[in-house]
Formats: sequence, structure tokens, C-alpha cells
Amino acid sequence: MRPIAIPTSSRPAISLTIALWVTLTMVILASIALGYRQYWPSAIWRAIFAFDGSESAVVITTLRIPRALLAPLVGAALGVAGVLTQTLARNRIASPDTLGINAGAALAVVASSVWFGVGSIAGMSVAAISGALATSLLVFGVAASSGGFSPIRIVLVGVTVGGLGYSIVQIILTTNEAQLKELLFWLTGSFADRPISFAIGGAPVVLVGLMVAWMLAQPLDALQADDTTAANLGVPLAVVRWSGFLTVSLLTGASVCMAGPVGFVGFVVPHVARRFVGLGHRRLIITSALIGAIYATTADVLARFIIYPAEAPVGAITSTVGGTVLLILLKRRVA
Amino acid sequence: MTMPARALASSRAPFVLVAIVLLFVLLASTGVAFGSTWIPLSQVWDVLLGAEIRGKTVIILQFRLPRVVIAALAGGGFAVAGYLLQRVTRNDLASPGILGVVDGAALAVVCFLAALSNESNALVTSIAYQPVAAAAGSILAIFVVFAFAGSQAASAIRLLLFGTAVAAVLKSLTVIAMLVGPVYQAGQAARWIAGAVNEINWNEIRITAMGMLPLMLIVLIVARKLPPADLDETSARSVGLNLPTFRVHIFVLAAAITALSAAFVGGVGFIGLMAPHLARRLIGRTVHLGLVGSFFIGASMLVGADLIVRLLFSPTEVPAGTVPAVIGAPYFLYLLMRNQRHD
Repeated sequence: MRPIAIPTSSRPAISLTIALWVTLTMVILASIALGYRQYWPSAIWRAIFAFDGSESAVVITTLRIPRALLAPLVGAALGVAGVLTQTLARNRIASPDTLGINAGAALAVVASSVWFGVGSIAGMSVAAISGALATSLLVFGVAASSGGFSPIRIVLVGVTVGGLGYSIVQIILTTNEAQLKELLFWLTGSFADRPISFAIGGAPVVLVGLMVAWMLAQPLDALQADDTTAANLGVPLAVVRWSGFLTVSLLTGASVCMAGPVGFVGFVVPHVARRFVGLGHRRLIITSALIGAIYATTADVLARFIIYPAEAPVGAITSTVGGTVLLILLKRRVA
Repeated sequence: MTMPARALASSRAPFVLVAIVLLFVLLASTGVAFGSTWIPLSQVWDVLLGAEIRGKTVIILQFRLPRVVIAALAGGGFAVAGYLLQRVTRNDLASPGILGVVDGAALAVVCFLAALSNESNALVTSIAYQPVAAAAGSILAIFVVFAFAGSQAASAIRLLLFGTAVAAVLKSLTVIAMLVGPVYQAGQAARWIAGAVNEINWNEIRITAMGMLPLMLIVLIVARKLPPADLDETSARSVGLNLPTFRVHIFVLAAAITALSAAFVGGVGFIGLMAPHLARRLIGRTVHLGLVGSFFIGASMLVGADLIVRLLFSPTEVPAGTVPAVIGAPYFLYLLMRNQRHD
């Protein structure tokens, strides 16, 4: 297989990566420090390295740090899932959200926990990943069965399937007299009040997904052209497609399991990343992971202030931004 | 000589319409009769006609009838709004739900409740303003959709995606607004996510009915100006039909009807898509009969949906709007797959 020439940005890679890492560190620190109550760096330092059982130390270690780890993890996973989806579907408005994959994963988790009593993180992850895979197969199956859909149409199918999934989630949860908080979590996603075990349990899955995505970078570059070109370049199309969809399901499923269906992160992030590094997937995947992490963490900090002292679900904020970006992209006829 | 299919359809249309109305009456009375205790239909009709039956009158008039009446009014309203939008955009897939109009109304009402409630969650202003807020939201929503779509609105399928994007934004904002306001405590949130007809009182019904009556009269008056569905856009314009200003009037009218329907019931989707289709299948393309048929089919759909959630999930209150959502989504997919020419 020969490498393919892909236009990349001329900006130096190293300085961009360093800048993104610095930004990420800063927003993670901000995520620990800012919220209903603000903490000075000294208090954070003491809570971590000299835990004294004070109220601030408890809040920092049990509430702030878990979500400061969860948000970047989920953001990175969704950002990369978005890149893969957009390339695999050759559709700039595709993403785990617009194709209903998020909703499918959420439905699978809710259904398996309510009907089959699945409660462990491992069980929920398996359910979420299977739900994500089943939904992407369904949406692409519907598209393929009617002779190839236009990008617009496939997204309409995805949004409708997603809406159906959320309606069923709502029925299941209301019949079980779930609290509004739980309902909103499974309809919009949030990083708040998730135990640290979710971040620790999800991290290896996300890392595996990111690594597989990175290994797929070169064939994905070739796939951006049409199928014949890609095949002539020696890309095993079926293998790449299947491993691509599996990776998308893995990343999306893991994030939904950790934080619920946080919307439109995977949709927005690849567009931003492409502006920085162009179309080559090696750099695009790394950059999308970093930008996704920064974006999700920033949105999570905003969620604490936008209706202060109450807290908004972070998914509502990312979906508002994402829907607006979708409108702008449609206006510019990107798809 | 064989009669053309359409002529056949319009000649039997009045009978079909009567059948639809009868079905609606049957569904509505079953909706009143069904509950924790079954009240025989004969007694239901006696009470509705003014008889006093001990123990039953209160149950019927205070608990069961309100939800049936509001379901009928709102379901019918969504259906008529959908009929108008489909005709004026020449787009079989258009509906107040997918164009974001329903979500615009829901967001405006939630903001209205959040902004104008006092510490004890009581409204500080008249509840009659709630539909006004809803109307402002829905009219704004439809204009945002068409402003963004611009010339792309001519493509049926692109217009839908613009609507879907606006709807997604509005839904997210509704969730945020819900958490600010008293809706959060009232546990009424389900209404603003999927639409529900429980906990409705007669005052709210009176407001809805008083708004719905003049709007429906206006619809029946302007309906004859709607271009025939089989006339193409250029011909319609050349004979003075479907001009831009007329379209704007119809958009406002459809948005106002949607708003009134959603003001107390919340965001019910897909009835505005399905009911007009069914009406056209059963009744044909005659405008006035189609409108009346749409109203009663839509009314039957929401009354039926409420009956279904009560049959399946009672005593838990599952929002009635989830039923059309679950049935409507596959139907919409079917339409998308069947009908590819819109690209």
C-alpha cells in the first residue's frame, strides 16, 4: 500500500500539539477549581497530596477531579469517533450524533439495566458498544438498501432513528418512575456526579479505540477518494470499513456509558481540527482527540455557570453549539 | 366509462369524513369511560348530556374529560398546521414537528414559566398569556428555519434538515430553561420533552378553545387560496396563487395553531406529519374536506395515544406524546426511503 498525498496545513505540528496540551492542562485545572464554589490552586494541591478530610478536600477529590478526568476522556473519544464517521460515510455532516449512534448506545444501556438488571460498568459498556454498533448498521443498512443516500438524507435517517431511540428511553424511564435527573442524563448527557470508577473503567477502552483509529489513519486517507481509487492504492476496503465502524462503536459506546449521550461533540470537533491540520488522518486524529478533550472540558465548566447556581447538563450546551454549527454548514452547502 | 380514481375518492369523501368523525366520537367516549374504574358508555353520554350520576359526574367532568378534550384540540391543531405546511411548501415530509415550530413553542412556554413565576411556583401573570408566548416562539422558529434555508428551502429534503437542526438547538435550550424554572420541581418536565395531556384544567381548555375557534375559521376562509396540490410552482404563481406574502401568512397561521396546541400540552411531534397524509389518502385532495378530516384524524390520534399509554402503563403517567413519536419515526423513515425524488 502506497501512502497518498493529502493536503496538510503548513503550520508546524509540534508547536500546535504543545499549545493544545497546554490548553488542555489549563482547562482541566479550571475544571477542578471553578464551580459552585471556587478553589485556589493551593487548596487543590492540599486535597490531592495532603488530604485532610476538610470539606473542600472532599469536594475536590470526590466531585471535581472525577469530572475533570471524565470530560477530556469522553471529549477525545467522541472527537475521534466523529473523524472516523465523517470519513467512512464521506459525509461532512455525519457524526455519532447525527447518525443516531449516541442515542442507540443510550437506549441499549437503559434497556439492559432496566430489563435485565445490568449494573456493572463492564456490562453497561458491552451494552452501549453493541447498541452503538447495531444503530450504525441499521442507519447505513437503511441507506444502502435504498440505493445509496445523499449525505442530507442519511443524516435525516440518523436523526430520526436517534429521536426514536430517545423516545423509547423516555418511555422506559418514566414507566420505572425515574427521577428527572436520571431522565435528563440519558437524554442529554452530563459529567456531573459520575463516580471516578467510570473514568477509570472507561479509560482503557477509549485508549484502545484511539490507538486503533490511529493505526487506521493511512487507509482512511485513501478512503477519502472514491472506492476505486482507494482499492487501486491497495486498501482492503471491507476490512477498513468494518474496523472503522467497530472503532466508532467502541469510542461512542464507551463515552455514552461514562457520561450519557453528550451531543454533537463528535460533530463539531473534526471541523475545527481540519482547520488546523488539514485532511491527513494521522495529525487529524491526534488533533481531534486533543480538541475534543478541550472542548468537552470547557463546556463542562460553562455548564456550571450558565444558569448558576443551578447546573445545566453539558450535553444541552454542546448540542446547542452543534446544532448551530450544523445550520451554518448547511447554509454554506458543505453537504 | 370508468371513473378516475381521484373523482371516485372525492365522491365518497363526505361518507369517509362522517366515518372519521364517528370514529373520533367513539374513541373520545372510550377515553372518558376508561380509567381506574370503567364507566359504561351509556352513562358517559348521559353525563355529557347533563345528567347527574352520583360519583360518576365528578370523575368524568373533573378528571377524565379534560384530558380527552385537550388531546382532541391539540391533536387536531397539530394536524391542521401540518396540512397547511405540507400544502404551502409542496413538501409531503414537512410538519410543525420537523420544522422546529413545536420546539419553538415549547421553549417559549418554558421560558415564560421560568421568568414569570414567583417563589412558590405560581404564575405572577395571567395564564392566558401562555399561548401568546408559545406563538412568539413558534413564529420565531419558523422564520429562523426559513432565514437560514434561504433559497435552499426549495429543496424539500434540505429544508427538513434545516428544520431538524433548529429543532435540535431549541430542544437543548428547552432542557436548560427547564432547569432554571419551576418546571423542574413540578415534575412536569416530561410534558416539555414529549408532550402530555394529564393535569389539564378547564381554564386551560377554555383558553385553547377560544383561540382555536377563530384560527380554524380563518383557515377555512383562506383554504380556497391554497394552490391545488397538483399544480406546479410556476403555474401556481402565474395565476396568483402561492405568492411569497401568501406563504408567509400561511406560515404564521400554521405556527400560531401549533403554538396554541403546544401551549399546555407540550411538544407532540409527528401527528402533524401523519394525520394530513392519512386524510389525503382517505378523503382525496379537496381542501376543505381535507382540513376537517385532518383535524379529526389528528384529534383521534392524540386521544388514542393517551388511551394507549393509560392502557399500557397505568397508574404510571407516561406522556401521551411518546406514542406518536414511536409510531411516527418509522413512518417518516418509510417516506424517506420510498420517496427519493426530493433530492
